[in-house]
Amino acid sequence: MKIEIAYILISIFLFLCGLFGVIIRKNLITLLVSTELMLNGVNLGLVSMDKMVGGVEGQVFALFVLTVAAAEVAIGLGLVVAIFRLRGYEGSSEITQLRD
Amino acid sequence: MEWLIFGFLSLWLLVSVFGTLFLKNPVHVILAFLSVILAIAGIFLHLGAELLAGLQLIIYAVAIIVFYVLVITTIPWEKVKKFEGIYKREALLAVPFLLVSFLPIAYMVLNGKFAVSGRVITEGNIQSVGKTLFTNYLFPFEVASVILLTAMIGAILLGRKEE
Repeated sequence: MKIEIAYILISIFLFLCGLFGVIIRKNLITLLVSTELMLNGVNLGLVSMDKMVGGVEGQVFALFVLTVAAAEVAIGLGLVVAIFRLRGYEGSSEITQLRD
Repeated sequence: MEWLIFGFLSLWLLVSVFGTLFLKNPVHVILAFLSVILAIAGIFLHLGAELLAGLQLIIYAVAIIVFYVLVITTIPWEKVKKFEGIYKREALLAVPFLLVSFLPIAYMVLNGKFAVSGRVITEGNIQSVGKTLFTNYLFPFEVASVILLTAMIGAILLGRKEE
């Protein structure tokens, strides 16, 4: 077994752990951290498949994923601060404005 | 030797990921996530992607983690309730789903055939990444800068104090 295949399996595990964290956590900040875990899993998969195929395009796409992660964390944390300032809570189970 | 490095890095990564998932205090979660970032930077170095390892350290471990810590210190935690809790029923429902989705992907990765490109990179890794980024992917690079500008303006508008 080549070592890149093992890293691809690790990246799948990392992505699914991020999904699991998004499902089980309540705090908005830890939800954002779980989303970052998913993006890191995608990055790891891109780079290891890149090493396996022998090109360089996967690293370029991982660079774009890094950019999107930075933009996502800026917008997400701005939303967390705005929600807390307007409503006064930080759990995803309390945001029921459109649900109830 | 290669598998020894793989075992060390992946064990570090798995321990940090479980810390990120199951610790209660958000500051501890951020610190575990920082450990995840360092482990992934080590994996990138092991895979031969030096530019991405450096960018991972610069962007994630410096910019994003500091931003998270800043927001956590901004929110007054004594006003909100202390323990956030974990959705237990959703966790029990999610475990078989995730297992079922992990096993076919792992089977496909282990038994599938990967494409082989005939190109061989002769120059260094950073040089070839930069050359590919600024020739073939120049337009997505500019779009990425527009996305960053939009995110900056949106974050300023969202985080502004209401008059």
